[in-house]
Amino acid sequence: MEKKFEVKDLITVGIFTALYFAITFAVACIGFIPIFMVFMPLLVPIFAGMPLMLYFSKIKHFGMVTITSVIIAILMFITGHPYPIFIFCIGAGLLTEIVLKLGDYQSIKSCVIGSSTFSLWLLGMVIAFFFGFRESYLNSLADGYGQEYVDKMSGYTPTWVFFTMIAMCIIGGLIGGLLGAKVLRKHFRKAGMA
Amino acid sequence: MELGLSSTSDKSVLKLDPRTKLCLLIAISLIMVGGKTAGVEYILRVICAAIPFVLLLTVRHIKSALIYVVLIAFSVFCEGSVIPNISGAPNLILMILCGIISRFVPGYMMGWYTVRSTSVSEFMTAMDRMHVPYFITIPFSVMFRYFPTLSEEYRSVHDAMKMREIGQSVKNPFTYIEYVLVPIMMSTVRIADELSAASLTKGLCAGGKRTHICQISIRLYDWLLMFGTLAMIVLFFAF
Repeated sequence: MEKKFEVKDLITVGIFTALYFAITFAVACIGFIPIFMVFMPLLVPIFAGMPLMLYFSKIKHFGMVTITSVIIAILMFITGHPYPIFIFCIGAGLLTEIVLKLGDYQSIKSCVIGSSTFSLWLLGMVIAFFFGFRESYLNSLADGYGQEYVDKMSGYTPTWVFFTMIAMCIIGGLIGGLLGAKVLRKHFRKAGMA
Repeated sequence: MELGLSSTSDKSVLKLDPRTKLCLLIAISLIMVGGKTAGVEYILRVICAAIPFVLLLTVRHIKSALIYVVLIAFSVFCEGSVIPNISGAPNLILMILCGIISRFVPGYMMGWYTVRSTSVSEFMTAMDRMHVPYFITIPFSVMFRYFPTLSEEYRSVHDAMKMREIGQSVKNPFTYIEYVLVPIMMSTVRIADELSAASLTKGLCAGGKRTHICQISIRLYDWLLMFGTLAMIVLFFAF
């Protein structure tokens, strides 16, 4: 296993982050419809699991997942999510890094677990609905979207939903990871691409 | 060529510094996504929505500029004067529709303008001047270069599926996603390999300080625009 961090790795990071982000963004857009907002942490990892698993299979060095998470955090911040997104993204990135490291960047099992730990960053997208952020965020939403929308949103998001969302991220990540592993076995292993 | 981060930006009438573009991009996203639809913030939103239109005109993308201005005028107008006066289901539908348009389209168009009007080396140089480390700038420039390719790849896969009459006959959504995603992922792997080979031949891995031939500098109108955006952000947070 080569140890040095190369430009090639940075390019891999860039391309796969773009693919992952595009799919995540497309799926997350349905979060505009209030009820889907709640299920977003389940849906996104399932759809994004395939490229994520392919990405993980390309990773050979410590630090690549962290860079991905930093980039996602910056993009999410630019598209108007509050600052806790940085904490969640980088935390999930580091956690995944450790999980992948434990599998020596080769075991499929650790990739699947990594896919579910990485999905935890999605909590950073929804954190604004909970805990200390709730009141001010809902108020700002009320000004932008109207009271009716906010009533619907706040109806769907009592505090306990946050904990179900954690479970949703993990389960969605596992499903996405398993699907991804299956697709990798079916298409990429044979072609020698993963 | 419909590719992002074009190699030249000579077509542009007004040559902005990449840093100014980034400033504008952040300000527009902040104000459009988080802004209210009443009072001072409504005026700020109208100004922000107009910026990408003007900038698109300066790079002579007349058609997309016109489509953009029609869409955005419709949704900003609805938000300002129609939505507060109706209620019930039409309100919710119109609000979600206008919400998506007015919140994301200006940022998207600004991003598109930034990508189209900035060459890779201009972007890298500007980032270098801001002392952003290379392990952030390289993935970022690769990403911006790759997004347009991604939509192109998607279109080709879609066309190929249509030609073989696969699209409509697939009922299982997971099978459909597999049919679309696997070819895209295949080409992604190939593009990643090609790009790293290209970067190798261009000596990106050589180490040492990167030099550049492109001229970037913050001119007077860059300062003016930056002060303008700063003022808008201050106003935005003050109210």
